Amino acid sequence: MSIAPSGTEVALTGPVGQVIASLGSAVVEVEFCDERRGMARIDPVRTVEVASTMLAMDGARLVTATGLEVRDGIDVLYHWAVEPAGIVVTLKALATRPGLELDSVANVVPAADWIEREMHDLLGANFPGHPDMRRLILDDSWPEGVYPLRKGFDQVTDRPALPPNRTPPDVLTPQEAPPGPGTAGQIKHPGKTMINIGPFHPLQEEAEFFQLYVDGETVVDVDVRISYNHRGIEKLDESKTFDQVPFVVERVCGICSASHPLAYVQAVEEIAHVEVPERALYLRTIVNELERLHSHLLWVGLAGHFLGYNTVFMWAWKYREPVMDVLEIATGSRVTYANCKIGGVRRDMTDEQLAQIDKAVTELQGPMEMITNVVLDDPVLHARLKKVGVLSAADAKAYGATGPTARGSDVPIDVRRDDPYAAYDRLDWKVITAPGGDVFGKAVVRLLENFEAVKIIKQCCAHLRGTKGEIDAKVEAIPPGEGVGHVEAPRGETFHYVRSDGSNRPVRHKIRAPSFVNVPTFKASCIGLQVPDVAITLASVDPCYSCTERLCSVVDAENPHRRLGFKELVKLSQEKTRKMRKEW
Amino acid sequence: MDLGVTILVWMAAAAGTIVLGLAFRWVDRLVTARVQWRVGPPWYQPGADILKLMGKETLMPTTARGTGFLLAPLVAVAASTVAAAILWRAVLSPQSTFLGDLIVVIYLLTIPAIMTIAGASASGSPHASFGAAREIKLLLSYELPMVIAMMTAVARTGWSLRLGGILEAQAQAPVVLSVSGAIAMVVAILCMQAKLGLVPFDMAEAECEIMSGVYVEYSGPSLAMFLVSNAMLLALLPLLIIVVFWGGLNTGAWWGWLTFAGKYVLLVALATLIRNTNPRLRIDQAVRFFWFYLTPLAILAAALAIVGEARGISWL
Repeated sequence: MSIAPSGTEVALTGPVGQVIASLGSAVVEVEFCDERRGMARIDPVRTVEVASTMLAMDGARLVTATGLEVRDGIDVLYHWAVEPAGIVVTLKALATRPGLELDSVANVVPAADWIEREMHDLLGANFPGHPDMRRLILDDSWPEGVYPLRKGFDQVTDRPALPPNRTPPDVLTPQEAPPGPGTAGQIKHPGKTMINIGPFHPLQEEAEFFQLYVDGETVVDVDVRISYNHRGIEKLDESKTFDQVPFVVERVCGICSASHPLAYVQAVEEIAHVEVPERALYLRTIVNELERLHSHLLWVGLAGHFLGYNTVFMWAWKYREPVMDVLEIATGSRVTYANCKIGGVRRDMTDEQLAQIDKAVTELQGPMEMITNVVLDDPVLHARLKKVGVLSAADAKAYGATGPTARGSDVPIDVRRDDPYAAYDRLDWKVITAPGGDVFGKAVVRLLENFEAVKIIKQCCAHLRGTKGEIDAKVEAIPPGEGVGHVEAPRGETFHYVRSDGSNRPVRHKIRAPSFVNVPTFKASCIGLQVPDVAITLASVDPCYSCTERLCSVVDAENPHRRLGFKELVKLSQEKTRKMRKEW
Repeated sequence: MDLGVTILVWMAAAAGTIVLGLAFRWVDRLVTARVQWRVGPPWYQPGADILKLMGKETLMPTTARGTGFLLAPLVAVAASTVAAAILWRAVLSPQSTFLGDLIVVIYLLTIPAIMTIAGASASGSPHASFGAAREIKLLLSYELPMVIAMMTAVARTGWSLRLGGILEAQAQAPVVLSVSGAIAMVVAILCMQAKLGLVPFDMAEAECEIMSGVYVEYSGPSLAMFLVSNAMLLALLPLLIIVVFWGGLNTGAWWGWLTFAGKYVLLVALATLIRNTNPRLRIDQAVRFFWFYLTPLAILAAALAIVGEARGISWL
């Protein structure tokens, strides 16, 4: 959406207008309002009041907040989604210098907890009244008063020196925490029995640090430390051109590597008012649904592994392999598809490729039915998963949970249906929900969604076969403006906010991955459970830390004695693709 | 037999049990791998694992009580070794066993689990103490049905507490060919699964929750000793079930060794099958399973066996 010329009155029409109007006098200025998007500036002293009004609204949830450095301070943009209308309303509040203060809304909206901590870490905004203002993103050794996401911070020259290697405080003989910034956040209850899941642990394939404080087998409190792997993607994006950014953001996560670029591209297309050709929409849908298929199969396998059911682990991953193969055939890569571009897609798919995709997903249906039946009928799995880690619908809404985590709690939200993108509104499929909010429900949602994904892919293939068409709208310049794009990734909604000043690169690119809101739901679902139940509940949101942590400084970990360089690796994988194409 | 020969035979039984246990471990891993569409390890892999560990450093956490920590795996192996000697002697020469050796074997086969608990508690790691707590609860839950199941066989074989006597009484028909015997054997097989620490009863190790739990602090030779003890249990527990319920080894006929090997492989394969088709239970679920399902079942079997024995009904 382009910024309206200042001084013009924006008419409050449609459902978005109703939402903004319901905030009453708290709204200072309406900047934009159309059928699905709205932007309004609110009174900065009334943020808490606005947040509670919004949360009380039917179907509204806080997606995230974006911190934006402006001349007078930090502009905080609260992005609220209202479903099923598919509305995204952005409410802006300015934290003025020198205090950069806004009242914390985390007490009324739990979903704001992490994002306020993040904005505090990275931009130096302050949120008085926040219940738990410890560091979330930055390392404890990072100096106070250095804010990496501010424009004045250069990620190469201004990076503080790395701290010396530290031994973590001994959990059994707690010592006085050494004075220094943020060290208080390291261990929440020193001296209590703690079972650590992390920083490296077989339960999670990435680095994170869950502290389970236990009384016998019962978990009485859980604390989490994340952000061991920052790559500074948001900062990096500000130095890349609009067309380079998709290649960066598909590296946010190795599994959502189709969703992130698509969400970004949609945000930019919203700024530039691009009409994407229909064929490109279908092609985007195919890649995104293949991604959902392989991601859900991956999760089923991992869940089996966490429960000691390694046969399910190996079987699910075996059946996932053909999906990866067709992704490689269609896009040239198993993980980074480099497929999406502003205005369309980069590569068309031939009839032969479409036939291969169709064949692969058709053959997948039998094994998927078998795995689904195993899960739905196994009495031991029922005993382990039912009524375990229950996340109530109200908690799911308050924490802003998305995707299968929310749908497993019977909250029927799905961006694909509520705010249709790609070709989803042209296809026949349905949103899967499950009652109960337990781990079993989340598993059922993912298993059944696989069948919907197959249905969608088959329809797309049938639609595209034998036809030809334009796949690129050939966008030239990106006008000044701001836009949001969100996509239903396998784990939930991935949300991108892009601001353009008319130059060739984004001024600000905010990424909110689904795990950022799904992981904190452990506070509502894990306390009081037994340790083995907590393990599977933590895994049931399908957490993705590489997505959750995408900020801060860029660390170059290149090994000087590497045996295969990037070029050789690319060559190896190209050869594999060629070989596979021959075999099919 | 003079003392020298006895000692040699006992040593051979112990060494043979280690080899057999490692071979079964390989079969278990290979079958598991094939079920999961993997290639699986070569035949010498379990032995190679032990050898490699023997050459590694033993790391001891600063929080550990050294003596108990290092002694526990040795005692576990020693107990398994003695149990191996007694069981093989009963199999090979049933007439030469002593009275009450069944009770001794049951005691000896409990010691590895107790030593795991002791070693884990001595390590001072919260994960290990978690594993130890679970192992204690598991031990308390499966020992009772296991012993009652054994007593069923004892009742069926004319109240003989001598392994040789139990085997001799089964010369006509094994215990398992009666209703009570069949029930008792099913109970014993499930208890064996828990005793071996295999899925669904591997919560004391539970890799994805407490990172190998009881064994988390063990490394090098001390870990190797626990692995040896576990491998021996994999050979000994099926053997015990074969001896008590399934007629043991018939040395009189040429096919005796064949059927014996068949029974053996069948029991190990069953354990592998169970562990590959189930997720891990929670400890409270496991305790409930053994106390409220298997124990009444075992008591029923024992009651049937006593009635059958008193009334002379051979099929009961």
